[in-house]
Amino acid sequence: MSGLSEELTAVAAEPTPASRTWRAFRRNPLGLVAAGLLVLLVLVALAAPLIADYPRGYGEDVLVGPSAAHWFGTDHLGRDIFAQVVWGTRTSMAVGLGASALAIVVGVAVGVGGAYFKRLDGVLGLFVDVMLSLPVLPLMILVAALAGPSVSTLVVVIAVFSWPEVARVVRSQALPIVTLSYVDAAHVMGAPNRWVLVRHVLPAVSPVIAVSVVVTASRAVLSEAGLAFLGLGDPSSWSWGTILYNAQRSGALSSSWWTAFFPSLAILLLVVAATLVALAYNDARNPRTRQDGTR
Amino acid sequence: MALLRFASLRLLRGLLTLWFAVSVTFFLVRLLPGDPALAIASPTMGEDQREQILADFGLDRPLAVQYVAYLGELLQGNLGVSFRQSIPVADVLLERLPWTLILTGSALVVTLLIGLPLGVLAATHRGGALDRFIQVGGVVGQSLFVPTVGIALLYTFGLWLGWFPIGGAIDDDVYGLEAYASMLRHLVLPCLSLVVLQIGAYVLTLRTNLIDALGEEYCTVARAKGAPERRVVWKHALRNALLPTTTLVGLQLGFLVGGAVLTETIFAYPGVGRAIYESVGQLDFPVLQGAFVLLAAAVVVANLLTDLAYGLLDPRVRAA
Repeated sequence: MSGLSEELTAVAAEPTPASRTWRAFRRNPLGLVAAGLLVLLVLVALAAPLIADYPRGYGEDVLVGPSAAHWFGTDHLGRDIFAQVVWGTRTSMAVGLGASALAIVVGVAVGVGGAYFKRLDGVLGLFVDVMLSLPVLPLMILVAALAGPSVSTLVVVIAVFSWPEVARVVRSQALPIVTLSYVDAAHVMGAPNRWVLVRHVLPAVSPVIAVSVVVTASRAVLSEAGLAFLGLGDPSSWSWGTILYNAQRSGALSSSWWTAFFPSLAILLLVVAATLVALAYNDARNPRTRQDGTR
Repeated sequence: MALLRFASLRLLRGLLTLWFAVSVTFFLVRLLPGDPALAIASPTMGEDQREQILADFGLDRPLAVQYVAYLGELLQGNLGVSFRQSIPVADVLLERLPWTLILTGSALVVTLLIGLPLGVLAATHRGGALDRFIQVGGVVGQSLFVPTVGIALLYTFGLWLGWFPIGGAIDDDVYGLEAYASMLRHLVLPCLSLVVLQIGAYVLTLRTNLIDALGEEYCTVARAKGAPERRVVWKHALRNALLPTTTLVGLQLGFLVGGAVLTETIFAYPGVGRAIYESVGQLDFPVLQGAFVLLAAAVVVANLLTDLAYGLLDPRVRAA
């Protein structure tokens, strides 16, 4: 009996899984730097008006390189590129997070629904497979061109073609969980489907959802940049892709490296940081890779 | 017999995908706010002029009739008429398609040629510095923005070093062998952009699969028999690790095509992607729609081929 009570107190003293994950995450320097970078980019997006004036009109210094007056140089109309990148952070973040949120809601609903309601699984699975095998960018281009470019169009278009990937990942994670005995036990107790889904299935797949949010958002930023680079960005707001589009269209690209370098760097930093945070979180959550001695 | 069943099921799925792609574009074009009628018929036209144009393009008929007619025309290889150039879309695009196939095909081959040895290296040096380096490279490569890679390559090797041409697909006045050499020189940079973009996925997937395979019992048996490690890796483990990697080709194809659209835009490479870029500026919807249908068809066919290759390689698929 004493052994059992020892075990019980040992269990009680154990930190919660969430705090253990957080502790392991803090020990990963790469993950921390990446998380810091993401926070910084969010701050830049929020505080854009405080950091730089909205770039508009024409400037006197056309295509000057980086200097004290223009940190990132100026474009073919003399507009400050630093200001463009700062304001572009806002659009890119808004589209990334908006599209990701929408795609996650649909993707989780379809993924969990397919895994839980076996009768729907065949149809939903086939639909997801079909969507995944189509070349998405040309389809996004067609829709964005038809609907007319605006931030809200971009969010919807990118979300509509991003959810199948979320659904695929969430479904594969939810499949083994719906067969577990505590789910069966809940059914035996007469729990309604909605209760089982919300109380048992969703919490079990929530780590995958967390990773999906970050990964989907960074992919959405890339999609937005791609569409804007092809001339389908919101004409009334700056985005990183729009800066590159201007550089390409005006021919400034071949003479002035800074017109392409700084927006590219911003995209790269955001996406790499998001990927590293997702990887570090996965490592910290997984007892086998956590390397803190506790399983 | 089982292989035949497997193949026909895959063919059916391919046809379903294609039908879905075609139908989605048809209804999107007609139901979304960007009215194609407005794009061709300008508001300054008189009412009869406008109606004449709509009738010419068949846009005045009921939606269901248009849909059936569209499917019928598609089966005959007719993708409609370009709004801007007044020539059949199929003519515009089919002349571009070979270039896109050359670009994506060569990118896929080069990716596999470089990616497989890298994946094997990472798996056999698991946990070492080389493995870390390859893994980080793979992750970063996957997170790059296609135009960024293209622009960087164009700058370094096109403008700065001057080793390769910065745009186009072939020089104007070359014949015979020289023409092939010119094509190759124009192909290097766009192809390399796509390789950088997708190689990470292949290397990382192969690495994981190979590590799993090397831990299997048949590899232990092979080692116990005294087979040299090189033989265990290349003859025993790699064959099985390659199977799931084949599936990746299918998953990556759509992504590759999207990358090609952006790459062709940067290098002014005269493929379907460049046609898309040009049509976006002119709001030439039939070309955009046709380009998507054509690229979707190419992806479906390529997917079918990888599925069949998988079926031939893996006896379990034939038995199932």
